[in-house]
Amino acid sequence: MQEVTAQASRVPELKPVSYKSSSELKKRLWRNKYLYVMLIPGVLFFVLFKYLPMYGLIISFQDYKPYQGITGSEWVGMEHFKRLFTEPDFLNILGNTLILFGMNIVFYFPVPIILALMLNELRGTFFKRFFQTLVYLPHFMSWVIVVSITYVMVTMDGGIINELLIYFGFEPINFLLNPGWFRPMYIIQIIWREAGWGTIIYLASIAAIDPGLYEAARMDGAGRLRQIWHITLPAIRSVIITLLILKIGSVLDLGFEHVYLMLNSMNREVAEIIDTYVYTAGLRQGQFSYSTAIGFFKSVIGLIMVMSVNKLSKKMGEEGVY
Amino acid sequence: MTKKSFTLLLSSLLTFSMLTAACGNNNNGNNEAAATTDPGTSGGTNTATTEPAPEPEKPTEIKIMLPLNTAETPPDTIKAEVEKLTNTKLTYQFFPADTYEEKLNSSFATGSLPQVTYLKNQTTFIQMKESIKDGQFWEIGPYLSEFPNLNKLKPEILNNTKVEGKLYSLYIGRPLARQGIIYRKDWADKLGLKAPANLDELFAMAQAFTEKDPDGNGKKDTIGLVDRNELVYGAFKTVSSWFGTPNNWGEKDGQLAPEFTFPQYIDTMDFFKKLRDGGYMNKDFAATSKTDAVNMFVSGKAGLYIGGSMQDIDTLNKDLIKNFPDAVLDTHSMVAGPDGKFAQWMIPGYNNVVLFPKSAVKDEAELKKILAFFDKMMTPEVANLMYWGIEGKHYTVVDGKAKPADDKELIEREVKGYKDSVIGEYETNGMYQSLNVLPGRIHAEELVLENVKVGVADPTAALDSPTYTSKGVELQQIITDATYNYIYGQLDKAGFEKQVEAWKSRGGAAIIEEYNAVYKK
Repeated sequence: MQEVTAQASRVPELKPVSYKSSSELKKRLWRNKYLYVMLIPGVLFFVLFKYLPMYGLIISFQDYKPYQGITGSEWVGMEHFKRLFTEPDFLNILGNTLILFGMNIVFYFPVPIILALMLNELRGTFFKRFFQTLVYLPHFMSWVIVVSITYVMVTMDGGIINELLIYFGFEPINFLLNPGWFRPMYIIQIIWREAGWGTIIYLASIAAIDPGLYEAARMDGAGRLRQIWHITLPAIRSVIITLLILKIGSVLDLGFEHVYLMLNSMNREVAEIIDTYVYTAGLRQGQFSYSTAIGFFKSVIGLIMVMSVNKLSKKMGEEGVY
Repeated sequence: MTKKSFTLLLSSLLTFSMLTAACGNNNNGNNEAAATTDPGTSGGTNTATTEPAPEPEKPTEIKIMLPLNTAETPPDTIKAEVEKLTNTKLTYQFFPADTYEEKLNSSFATGSLPQVTYLKNQTTFIQMKESIKDGQFWEIGPYLSEFPNLNKLKPEILNNTKVEGKLYSLYIGRPLARQGIIYRKDWADKLGLKAPANLDELFAMAQAFTEKDPDGNGKKDTIGLVDRNELVYGAFKTVSSWFGTPNNWGEKDGQLAPEFTFPQYIDTMDFFKKLRDGGYMNKDFAATSKTDAVNMFVSGKAGLYIGGSMQDIDTLNKDLIKNFPDAVLDTHSMVAGPDGKFAQWMIPGYNNVVLFPKSAVKDEAELKKILAFFDKMMTPEVANLMYWGIEGKHYTVVDGKAKPADDKELIEREVKGYKDSVIGEYETNGMYQSLNVLPGRIHAEELVLENVKVGVADPTAALDSPTYTSKGVELQQIITDATYNYIYGQLDKAGFEKQVEAWKSRGGAAIIEEYNAVYKK
C-alpha cells in the first residue's frame, strides 16, 4: 500500500512527455521494453476477444441465416432497429431498465463506501478481518442460490417472513408475484450479495492514506467523524468517481441472470429488461439479428453515458477514466 | 513512456471493451466464430477428425449433442459398451437441459452443431423448422427404407415430425398421453374420499386436503394441489383438457381457432382462480419452480400433484416415503368434465427429435454411416443398454421385463444421460418394458393406455405456419401472462379478451389464417 502513495506522488513529474527526436523515443521504448512485452498478452486478449467480435455486429443489419453466414446473409438495413423501436413493449422495457439502473446508483452505489468507512473504523485486526470476510462471502453465491433463498424466505406458502407477519397479526404479503415488490427485492438482493465485495477497492485506497494526516488532524482536535469527512472521503474521492463512471458504463447491464430468475408472468411489466428481452427473443427463439440489434443499441447508450459522465467529471476537476 | 500511460491505455481499453462487449457477451462471441470461418469450412473443421473410414472395420466417429437431465455428465461406462456393439467412436456433448435452447441456438448460429443434434422438445423443433426448410439439415426420409430397424418407426408419428411433407428427423418416442393426477391415497382414505371422478370431486378433494387436516397433526398446515410456473406440463393444460378445451387448436364454426378463444379455457382459469383464492393450492405457484413444487409434495405439505407424467410417481414415492414411511401414493386420470365426458390432451407421440446438420455431415456416405449407428441403436441389445444400463449392474430381467437395481443413484449417474436419447419406443426398438412394483405405477401404466382412448390430438401438429414458426413462442407469452394474471385476479374476462386481441394484432391473426389455409387442404 505504501507503493501506491509513492506512485501517486510521482505522477505529476511524469506528465509532460514530448520527444525531441525519434531516437529519443526509441531509447525510451527500449528502456521500458519489458513493460511493453508485458502489454502484449493484454492487447492480444482485447483484440481477439473484444474487438474482433465486434465484426459480428454486422448481422444486426442482416437477416442472418447461420448456414449462409455473414457473407451470404441478406442485407435488411435498419429493419431490426425499426422493429425494436416500434415494438409495443419497447418503451416499457427501456423504462424498466433505466429505473433499475437508477436504483442501483442511488441505493446500491453508496453502500460499499459506507461499509468500507465503517470497516475502517473497526479497531483490532481480528474483528476487522472477521467482519470483512463475513460481508465478502455472499458474493461467492450464485444468483440461483440467492434467488432460491429469497423464494424460501418470502413465499406465501410457508415462507418465514410471511409466517412472522401472520404471527404478529399482519396480512401476508405476496412478495414474489406483486409487481410492486420486485424492485425493492432486486436492490436488497444486490446489496446483500455485492456490497461487501464492493468495499475491497475502497478499503485498499483508504489503507493508502498517509497516517500522518490523521495524526495531524487528531492533534488539531478532530474527532472520528471529522477525520472521515475531511481526510478519508476526500482521499478516496477519485476512486469513487472512477468507479461511478465504470458503473455508468454498464448502465443497461443489470445482471441478466439475477433478473431472469426473479422474472415471472405476474411481474413482467416491471421486471422485463433489455437483457432478458435479448435472451428470450434472441437465444431462446433464435432471432439472432434482432437480438444483436438490441445489444448494439444497448452498447451505444452505454458508450454515450460513459463519455458524458467522463466529460462531466473532468469539468469538475477530477481525472476521469481516460 | 510512463506507467501512467499504460494505466490510461489499459483502463480505456477496459472501459471501451466493457461497453462494446455488453452485447458481445451473448451473441457476438459466437457470431464472430461464424464470421471468421465460413460455415462450410467450420463444418469441415468439425468433421476433420471424422473422415469416413476406408476399411469397414474402422469405427465410425460420431459427435452427438444432447440435453442432460441430471446434474452431472455420466461416466463412460455405457458409452464404452455402446461403442463396442456398434463399432463407433462416440463423442457425447452433454449440456444441461435447463439452458439447452441457448446452447442449441448459439451452436447453430456459429455453424458448430455436431453431426448428430438432439433438440430439446417440440418447441425447439418448431423453432428449427425455418432452418430445416432452408435446407440446413439432411432430409433422411429417402434413406429410411435401407435400414431395417429404422424402418420400423411408427409412420403416424414420423408424419407428425415431417416438415413440408419431408422427413428430416428421427424421434424419441413417448406415450401419447401420460398426464394425470398423483395423489396421497393415505390422506384420501383417511378422509373417506375416492379418486375424483369429475372436476367437482377434484375441487372437493383439494379443499378437504386443505381443511380437514389429512396428516392428523392437529394443524392446518396442508394444501390440496401443488403446481408450478408452467401452464403446459404443470396442472393447467391437463385440467383444461378435462374441461373440454381443445389441444392447442380446436375447430369452431368450421375454422381452426386457438384454445384460449374457447369458453372452456376461461372455465379452467376460473377453476384455478377458485382453488387459489380458497388457498387450496400453493399461492405462489406462478413463481414456483418444478423443484420447489416437488419438494412441497414430498415433504407432505400437499396432497395432489398434477404434472406432465403419472410415471413420475416412482421418483415422488421414493422421496416421500423417506419423510413419511406410511405414505401411499396412487395415480388417477379419468376426470369427467362438466358435460360428463372424458378427454385427455395428447402429445404427437414424441418428446424430442434428432437432426443431422449439413454443416457437420459432409456427404451422403457419412450420413448413411450415422444412420447405420441409429439403426443399431434400435436393436433390443443396444436400446436396452442405453435405456436400462448394463444387465446385472443397473437392472435385472424378471418375467421378461426390466427391474431397475436398488441403487437409484448409480442409475441416475451412469444411465440417465443416455436414456433420454433412445430412438423409438419399446414397440419399435424391442427393449424391455419396465417391471413395476409400485401399485400406483402399475395403475399409471393402465391409465396411460386408457388416456389414449379419449385422447385429443393437436390438429396443427403436422401443419405449418410461417408466422407461428418465427413469432409463435414470443406471442404465446402474452397469453401465458394473461392467464396467470386472470387466475391471480389482476385481469377480468374483458381484460383477458383484450390480451387475446393483442395476440391477434401482433401476429396471431396471421397464424390463424395460415393454419386455416393449410388445414382446409
